[in-house]
Amino acid sequence: MNEFFSVQDISVSLGGRQILDHVSFSVDAPGHVIGILGPNGSGKTTLLKAVCGELPHGGHVVLEGLELAGLRAKELAKRVSYIPQQSGISISMSVLDVVLMGFYSKLGLLSQPSADMRRDAYHALKQVGMAELAGRDYLTLSGGEKQLVLFARTLVEGTKLLLFDEPDSSLDLGNKYRMVQMIRELVCGNPVKTALICLHDPVLALTCCDTLMLLKDGHLIRILRPETDSIKDMELAFTEIYGPVNLLEIPDPQSPDHRRLILLPTL
Amino acid sequence: MDSLRKAQTDPNRTMTILTLAMTFLVIAFVSALSTGKYPISLKSLRNGDLMAVRTFTILRLPRALMGLVGGFGLGIAGFVYQTVFRNPLASPDIIGVSSGASAGAAFAILFVSAASPSTTVFAFIGGLLAVCLSLGLTTLSPVKEHASIVLAGIAVHALAQTFLMVLKLMADPEKQLASIEYWIMGSLAGVTAAKIPVPVLIILVTSIAILLLHRHVLALSVREDEARMLGVSVRTTRFYVLFLATLTVAAAVSVTGLISFIGLLAPHTARLLTGDHKQSSCLLSGIIGSFLLLTADVLAKSLATVELPVSIFTSLLGAPFLIFLILSGRRH
Repeated sequence: MNEFFSVQDISVSLGGRQILDHVSFSVDAPGHVIGILGPNGSGKTTLLKAVCGELPHGGHVVLEGLELAGLRAKELAKRVSYIPQQSGISISMSVLDVVLMGFYSKLGLLSQPSADMRRDAYHALKQVGMAELAGRDYLTLSGGEKQLVLFARTLVEGTKLLLFDEPDSSLDLGNKYRMVQMIRELVCGNPVKTALICLHDPVLALTCCDTLMLLKDGHLIRILRPETDSIKDMELAFTEIYGPVNLLEIPDPQSPDHRRLILLPTL
Repeated sequence: MDSLRKAQTDPNRTMTILTLAMTFLVIAFVSALSTGKYPISLKSLRNGDLMAVRTFTILRLPRALMGLVGGFGLGIAGFVYQTVFRNPLASPDIIGVSSGASAGAAFAILFVSAASPSTTVFAFIGGLLAVCLSLGLTTLSPVKEHASIVLAGIAVHALAQTFLMVLKLMADPEKQLASIEYWIMGSLAGVTAAKIPVPVLIILVTSIAILLLHRHVLALSVREDEARMLGVSVRTTRFYVLFLATLTVAAAVSVTGLISFIGLLAPHTARLLTGDHKQSSCLLSGIIGSFLLLTADVLAKSLATVELPVSIFTSLLGAPFLIFLILSGRRH
């Protein structure tokens, strides 16, 4: 049992309602993007929050043999990043300062970010195409720009487990695909990481995820592997959570040997 | 890395603002030293005029120093409260420190002695008790949000106010009640050399600690779950930061009595000038706090034949500023 990351029997109940019911899964090695799909209220965000210990839960979350529940905030932050849909930053600070917050867990009580850290933060902003706005007040950015800045902050955190809560929610079509592409590059980069992403758009999930976990009413009902699972099987699984749908395979206009999957609801 | 340098706030601009603020502060400090009932000239001090030297060292200088340091502490603490609570109207009373200090002072006036050292000590203890109670209640609460501190603060504030009311009812209306009311209005009139060393030391140490811990104060302004995932031990850090800020306020008001609006006004003005929440803005908030308190004290000493409570002038500045904030629609 040398798994890289495992979630064992996670259950969460809030206000007497069971939000997650004994959810378990594991990832043998890093380098995977795992999508969490499900209708509204199925427990996707709750699962992410339970994994990072933000919600009281039953069960265990283990990363590289270490139980996450017992870790101090700084130790947890060195291993796990949580990227919320919207940041809770509500006071004026520059975009660069927001990215520099990613170094918090690496700094001592009285130390300040070093010149190297500032350079890395700026480089991360460059990577997400936001370097021009480094000096701007974060609060004046659009929702999409804010998400890109948060992604830059995640880049400097350098953690091994990344939890994204609908990272595409404020992005336009082009940026949505750019964001998932960046997540893929980050996961396959050095060191290799694993990302757990809550998504609403199954087509986007089919494009970027190695594994898809389908949640319904707090239960993990199916685990799909788009690379190997049959179209029919996946269509049935999607039908179970979204209602009648058709999963179609079409040739990728950019590379004819490659195929893309699209999902259409049955009208 | 030219663009990186460009991205960071222009240090020259910040330095200019800080230098200007320091210049105004020096003017206010010199005015505070030279204003008072007893005329003191530089010449009489140099000639060793005993009365002038004594008045200057025992009364005038300590009073100006208290204005300088007290205002600085109130400005810094106000900056911390507004940042940590993400609320532009947050003030020391959000966790009940002012009411606790008032109740402590009233208790001393009634049961110990109306003489000032005991009022100072009891006001400090009262403020500290209120804070410990608010923060202690919060650590017991299962709710992790800032709201639980605010709720605990409201409860402690109400409790201290009730206690204060009972004390006022028991007070002799001629002397004690007047003393309590005068203390609540705030004044630097009673400051003497003997009273200030400990409070000044506390304010200086806590203010410097806050400035050094500024990165943590900023981290607390982020929503709690996000801050925790960045590695912030939210509850512990918040406890220490608020404790430091409140200790500053308790030390200041224990000597001066309640001084309204400086903790609100100074951080807002600092942020209006710098447009950010950096360490330099926090320092600027302290300098503005000193300037406001010294200026209000100069006015309190010189506008009428009797000394006026300093809060009259700080409120006089504060109320229009609040209206300005409402009309300009600024949140932070």
